[in-house]
Amino acid sequence: MKLTRGKRRTARARDAHTLAGAYAMDAISESDRVRFERHLAGCDECAQEIAGLREATARLGAATAAPVPPGLKERVMAAAAVTRQQAPAAEPDSPARVGAVSRAGAWLRSLAWPGRLVMAAAGAAAAAALAVAVVFGVSNGSIQQQLDQAQASSHQIAVVLTAKDARMMTGPVTGGGTATIVMSHAQRALVFTAAGLHALPSSRGYELWLIGPAGTRPVGMLPQGSHGMTGPVIASGLHDGDHLALTDEPASGSSQPSTSMMLDVDL
Amino acid sequence: MTFTGGPDPRDPDGPETPTRPAKAAAKDLAAQIGLIARGDPGAFDAVFEQVGPSVFGIVRRVMRDPAQSEEVTQDVMLEVWRNASKFDSTRGSAMAWVMTLAHRRAVDRVRSVQKESERERRTASADIPYDEVMEAVESSLERERVRRCLKSLTGLQRESVTLAYYGGYTYDQVAGLLGVPTGTVKTRMRDALIRLRDCLGVAV
Repeated sequence: MKLTRGKRRTARARDAHTLAGAYAMDAISESDRVRFERHLAGCDECAQEIAGLREATARLGAATAAPVPPGLKERVMAAAAVTRQQAPAAEPDSPARVGAVSRAGAWLRSLAWPGRLVMAAAGAAAAAALAVAVVFGVSNGSIQQQLDQAQASSHQIAVVLTAKDARMMTGPVTGGGTATIVMSHAQRALVFTAAGLHALPSSRGYELWLIGPAGTRPVGMLPQGSHGMTGPVIASGLHDGDHLALTDEPASGSSQPSTSMMLDVDL
Repeated sequence: MTFTGGPDPRDPDGPETPTRPAKAAAKDLAAQIGLIARGDPGAFDAVFEQVGPSVFGIVRRVMRDPAQSEEVTQDVMLEVWRNASKFDSTRGSAMAWVMTLAHRRAVDRVRSVQKESERERRTASADIPYDEVMEAVESSLERERVRRCLKSLTGLQRESVTLAYYGGYTYDQVAGLLGVPTGTVKTRMRDALIRLRDCLGVAV
């Protein structure tokens, strides 16, 4: 520090300096924090000191490491898959959509990794949601409306995937393919996706059902997805005793299942 | 048909082996965060494996409530995902970046709900810090080192750091708890961290 800057400034800087330890431990009030950060912006020496102190506090923190609760990583991964990332500060914001597409691609590529099947399935479900949002946005007339819709559904899906009690189930579909279900009892909803289903003629489609004491309710037709995956379908309003079923129906859908069930899961 | 829930038991990824050189791991972590910034979910998975336990550990230490800690850990990890592009390896290690996010978020959350239960926490936390932290510290070389370095501090330095970092108190709250002037606490905090930094052999 140069002496020519005057005594007052020196005293203030010294005072700010003594705050370094408290700042590095977040042991200061919001107003002190703002003031100190203003000081930091113009003081390389302080910034360097803070960096060093933070290495020390990080070690204090790491010493408390504890096993992460089961399922937490899966929830975070699933939430990340539907969470848009911040662009680097220096880059313009416009290519963000391209980024979203490549991210979805990255999630799908992650499916190829062995030993991560369950996690990858959740990621894929979410990635498919993201892919749907993007594809709708660029291929349809009312782009904004489609995007809003897709985003609303992505949001619903994210709510289920990140629910505290979210539980994932995977299993084979009769006739070929694998179904993945992420269900939250608290949200009374589930997200369904399937991969490798037997291809149907264009006049037919897969329809998802909820069947139970509350009656038989059609959830909807499984949308065609990419990479052999169906797009995710959200089923909400689950009741106690419901089963989830999958049947082969006319492409326009049926009000009651008309063929045998290829999947029957007791929820 | 059989449905299976829970993680795949074939997952070969275990926690980091302690024998791995810390420097290489730190370099890896920074590189992985660079990949996260480009949207790589595999890198995010790897980073979660590496930092997740530390993030959860410090958040739970500060917050105490396990359910809320889980929530905040999730927020912190999503912040890592969202803001990976903001990480600048020239301004510190990746671990310090993540732990700073984690600690600040935990502290912010505690302070925003602190008003009503302040008295309770105050009594509860004033007793715990050092012993409980030390008890929770399992035997590993790294933890042993942290423990030894904490022990090398003066009593006032150690209490200031413990109450501030692990307890989530501001310096003036710490001053009140310890019955010493705020100026003294501020100085002790800085001196303590400088000593810890040197004792832990932190390279900046």
